[in-house]
Amino acid sequence: MKKITIDPITRLEGHGKIDIFLDDAGDVANAYLQIPELRGFEKFCEGRPVEELPRIVPRICGV
Amino acid sequence: MAKLKLALYWAAACGGCDVAVLDINEKILDVANLADIVFWPIALDFKYHHVEAMPDKSIDVCLFNGAIRSSEQEHIAKMLRAKSKVLVSFGSCACFGGIPALANFTTRAEIMERVYIEAPSNENPNKTLPQTKVSVPEGELTLPELFDNVLTLAQVVPAEYFVPGCPPTVDLILKVVNALATNSLPPVGAIIASEKTLCDECDRKKENKKITRIYRTQEIIPDPERCLLEQGLLCMGPATRGGCGALCVKVNIPCRGCFGPPPGVADQGAKLVSAIASIYETNGKQDIEKMVNEVVDPAGTFYRFGMSISMLKRKIPQKR
Repeated sequence: MKKITIDPITRLEGHGKIDIFLDDAGDVANAYLQIPELRGFEKFCEGRPVEELPRIVPRICGV
Repeated sequence: MAKLKLALYWAAACGGCDVAVLDINEKILDVANLADIVFWPIALDFKYHHVEAMPDKSIDVCLFNGAIRSSEQEHIAKMLRAKSKVLVSFGSCACFGGIPALANFTTRAEIMERVYIEAPSNENPNKTLPQTKVSVPEGELTLPELFDNVLTLAQVVPAEYFVPGCPPTVDLILKVVNALATNSLPPVGAIIASEKTLCDECDRKKENKKITRIYRTQEIIPDPERCLLEQGLLCMGPATRGGCGALCVKVNIPCRGCFGPPPGVADQGAKLVSAIASIYETNGKQDIEKMVNEVVDPAGTFYRFGMSISMLKRKIPQKR
């Protein structure tokens, strides 16, 4: 099956790629959006003082 | 002069560095006169394969922001290094690890567990975790490998210049743009910021007063004229390179060290511990214990932006 990969997807905040699979007729059989990035705010914010979080979580997205 | 070829990239980052480049406002037109942008995912539709196809050293300058915490980011860093004459480590994440390097207090396994299994918004009964390769009916999908360790750009490839800041300020970005425009780049290895500490550019009054208590920021309203550290607030000023214009302390918020250690300081956290120890009034072991207990999150505060280059380096993953 033919695969078209769009990597990276652009003009948005963050990282992403799209894999599109084509069948024999050249039609789209399926498409997958994948996010090839993880920083782990969900984990590393644990244990930080609550008053510091307004200075940490803005860095989730700075756009 | 022929137009320069300019690339901008984000690795483990928030996009704030990319937006900071736009914060130079109408000066962005000078950049457009000076350079053709050949890669900039946030703003322009170039793909990795376009960069791959460029000859080595065909990019004049690459501003690289973000830390390196995956095999993809490592690959792109190596690729952009090969394609670029000048590679600039841009922003605190690329220079010191930044906020993403707080992940070095934990491990990849703990992050995966929390994000994909424990988090209350998840519905993942089979405890599926992201895989570097996965077979789907139509073929195979791949994802980069997440590293256990968050690295700086220069820990992966050599970089010519370093522009600290979360994000770098407009003044510093213009300094870089002007240096490019006038072909007057500083010596390789230069850090584009001040050669002094943040305290040196802070207008607050220092009275060399001892403190008897460390306060959390919500516990007092600090005097806007006096040194924050001397009012008992943890301010990273003595352990931080200047060059930001004292932005945070000007609005009564203590510095968190995003410009990294000043010249001559090997470890930012150790430097701040030394600064606190020299102003905290102690008469014996009891007072020292009290002081230690008053610092709620020492590692996460003193190494807020600098875990990747710290003496601590990271939490050692448990062998299973």
